[in-house]
Amino acid sequence: MLNTIRPKGRVIFAYLCVPVALFVFTVFVPLIAALYYGFTDWKGGPTKNFNGIQNYVQLLNDEVFWHSFGNNLYLVVACIIGQIGIAFIIVMLINSKLVKLKGVHRTFGFFPSTISALCIGFVWKMIYDQRTGIINWFLVDVMHKYKNMKSAPIWLGGEAAPIMLVLSIPLIWQYIGYYMVIILSAVASIDTSVLESAEIDGATGLQKAIYIIFPLIKNTLLVCITLCIAGNMKAFDSIYAMTEGGPGTSSMVMALYGYNQSFKSSNLGYGSTISVGIFVLSLAVIGGSQLILNYYMTDKYDREEKRIKKQRDKEARMVMKNKKKGGIM
Amino acid sequence: MDGNAGIQAVKDNSTKTKVANGVLGVILNVILWVFSLACIFPLVWMLYSSLKKKREFNASIIALPSKPTFENYIKIFSNKDANLLGAMGNSVRTTVLAVFLIVLFAFIVGYILSRVNFRLNRFLYVMFLMGMLIPIHSLLVPIYIIFNRTNMANQWFTLLFPYVAFNLPVSLFLVEGYMKGVPLELEEAAAIDGSSFSRTMFSIILPICKPILTTVAIINVFSCWNEFSFALVLISNNKAITTVPLALKNFTGQFSSDYPKMMAAMLITMAPVVIIYFVFSKQIIKGMVAGAVKG
Repeated sequence: MLNTIRPKGRVIFAYLCVPVALFVFTVFVPLIAALYYGFTDWKGGPTKNFNGIQNYVQLLNDEVFWHSFGNNLYLVVACIIGQIGIAFIIVMLINSKLVKLKGVHRTFGFFPSTISALCIGFVWKMIYDQRTGIINWFLVDVMHKYKNMKSAPIWLGGEAAPIMLVLSIPLIWQYIGYYMVIILSAVASIDTSVLESAEIDGATGLQKAIYIIFPLIKNTLLVCITLCIAGNMKAFDSIYAMTEGGPGTSSMVMALYGYNQSFKSSNLGYGSTISVGIFVLSLAVIGGSQLILNYYMTDKYDREEKRIKKQRDKEARMVMKNKKKGGIM
Repeated sequence: MDGNAGIQAVKDNSTKTKVANGVLGVILNVILWVFSLACIFPLVWMLYSSLKKKREFNASIIALPSKPTFENYIKIFSNKDANLLGAMGNSVRTTVLAVFLIVLFAFIVGYILSRVNFRLNRFLYVMFLMGMLIPIHSLLVPIYIIFNRTNMANQWFTLLFPYVAFNLPVSLFLVEGYMKGVPLELEEAAAIDGSSFSRTMFSIILPICKPILTTVAIINVFSCWNEFSFALVLISNNKAITTVPLALKNFTGQFSSDYPKMMAAMLITMAPVVIIYFVFSKQIIKGMVAGAVKG
C-alpha cells in the first residue's frame, strides 16, 4: 500500500465506477434476480405469480436434475482420473533423457485445449458417427470386427457403451495436454540435485516418480484437480454439440437442463430455481473437495507440526499475558 | 587375466545397457508420438477431408482426396444464409473490444486495489474474489432475464458485459499479484518529481506491467473467441450479430449430413486461433499456464 501518496477520493471513484458497476450488474444483479424469480411460476409472459417454495420442492424431487448432477460428478471423476492421471504419466515419460523433440510434443499436446469446446464436440460427433466415423471405420475396415458400417455400433446412442463414458472421452482428450503443460512446469521447478541424488542412490524411474516427484508437486496437482472440478461442473458446450443431453435425458448435465427448462419449455421461473440449485451444488462440490483434498494432501507430519506450533503460540500468549499482569501488579 | 575378464564384463554390461536404453528410448518416443499425433489428428483429418466432395468422403472417410477441390470453401463463403464471414467479423470485434476492456480494467482495478488505501478497498477486493468463486454457468438463465428486462440483449455490445465481467476477477488478481513485486519507491520518486496519480499509473506503472498484461490478453483472446453458452442465450435472436460458435451451430443444423462442408466451416472459424497458436505457441502456453495456476 502506498501511504505517502493519497489520490483524491474523486479520482479513485472515477476510475473504479465503470468496472465495478459493470461487474455488479452482470454478476450480482442476475444472482439476486435468480433468487427472486426462483419463487415464481414465470413463463416469460406478462403473468407472474409467487408460488412459495413449490419450485424448490419440485427441484428436490426432480429426477432429471439429480441425474444431471450425477452426470456432472461422473465427468468430474472421469476427467480427474483421465486427464490428470494420463498427463502425469506423459510428463514422467517426456522428462526422460531419451526423449527428443519435447517442444513439439508440448505444442501438439496443448493444441486441443485452445479450440472451442463446441468445435471439439462437433469433431467428435463426426468421429463417433455410425456410417462415416473414424472409430467404426477402424472397427470395420481394419479390425474386421463388423461386416459393414450398418451393423457397427451407434456410439452416441447409448447402447453400444455407457453414454457418459463415450462423452467423457472427448473432454478428457481435449485437456490432457493442458494439464501436461502445468505439471511439466511444476516438475521443471524441482531442484535437480534432489533427483540426481536419488539416481545415485539407485532409484529407478518409477520410484523417482512415485516417491520424489509426486510428493514435491502435490500442490500443483491440487490446483489441477480444482481446475478440473470447476471446469466439469460447468460442462455445456461439448455435450450440447454431441447429444444435446440425449438420448432422452441420459447424458443431461445441470447447465444444459437449466437451459432446456428455461428456453425450450420456457419455464423461466423454474429455470431460475435450477440456476440457484446449480449455484449451491457447484459451490458445495468445489468447497467440499477443497476441504477433503487439503486434509489428505497435507502430511501427517505437517499436521503434527501445525498442531505443535499452535500449542506453542498459545503458551507464548499465556506467558505474555501473565507477564503483563505481573507488570501491572 | 582376471583384469581383462573384468573389463570384458564391464564392456558387455555397457553394451547391454546401451541396447536396453535404445529399446526404451524407442518405446518412449513411440508412445509420446502416438499421444501427440492423437492430439492433432482431427485437425489434419479435417484439413484434407474438407478438400473432398461429399460423395468421395462417404466412399472412403480416411483416404486422401484424389482430386482436391476448394468447392466447399467457395460454397460456404457464397452462402448468404450461413454468413460465416459476417460472424467472424462480429467475433473479431467482440473479442478485440472485450480483451481491450479486460486488460484496461484489470490494470486499473488491480493497481488501485494493490496500492491505494481507501475505505472500500478490502470490500471491493472481497467482492471480486467472490466473483471468481461464483459458478458462472448458474447465471445463464438469470442473466438472460435481466438483459431482456433492461433491453440489453441482442445488441452488438451485449456480449461485452458477460465476457468482461467474468474474466475480470482472474485478470485483475494476476495484475495485483504482479504489483507485489514492483517497488513502492518508484511511485514515491515519481510523486516527488511532481507526477500526478494518473500520470504515474499510465506512464510509469503500465509499461512495467506489460508482461502480465500480455498474459491477461492471451488468456482472454481464447476464452472470448471460443465462448458459446452466453452467446447462445443472449444474442441468438439477432442474426446480424452472431459470433462464430453460434454461426457454426446454425450451420451444422443446416448441413449436418455434409461432413466435408462442416469441416471446411469449422476450419475457417478455427483458422485465426490455430494460426495465432502455432506462431506464438511458446508464449501462449506459458501465459495460459500462468493464468490457470495463479488464478
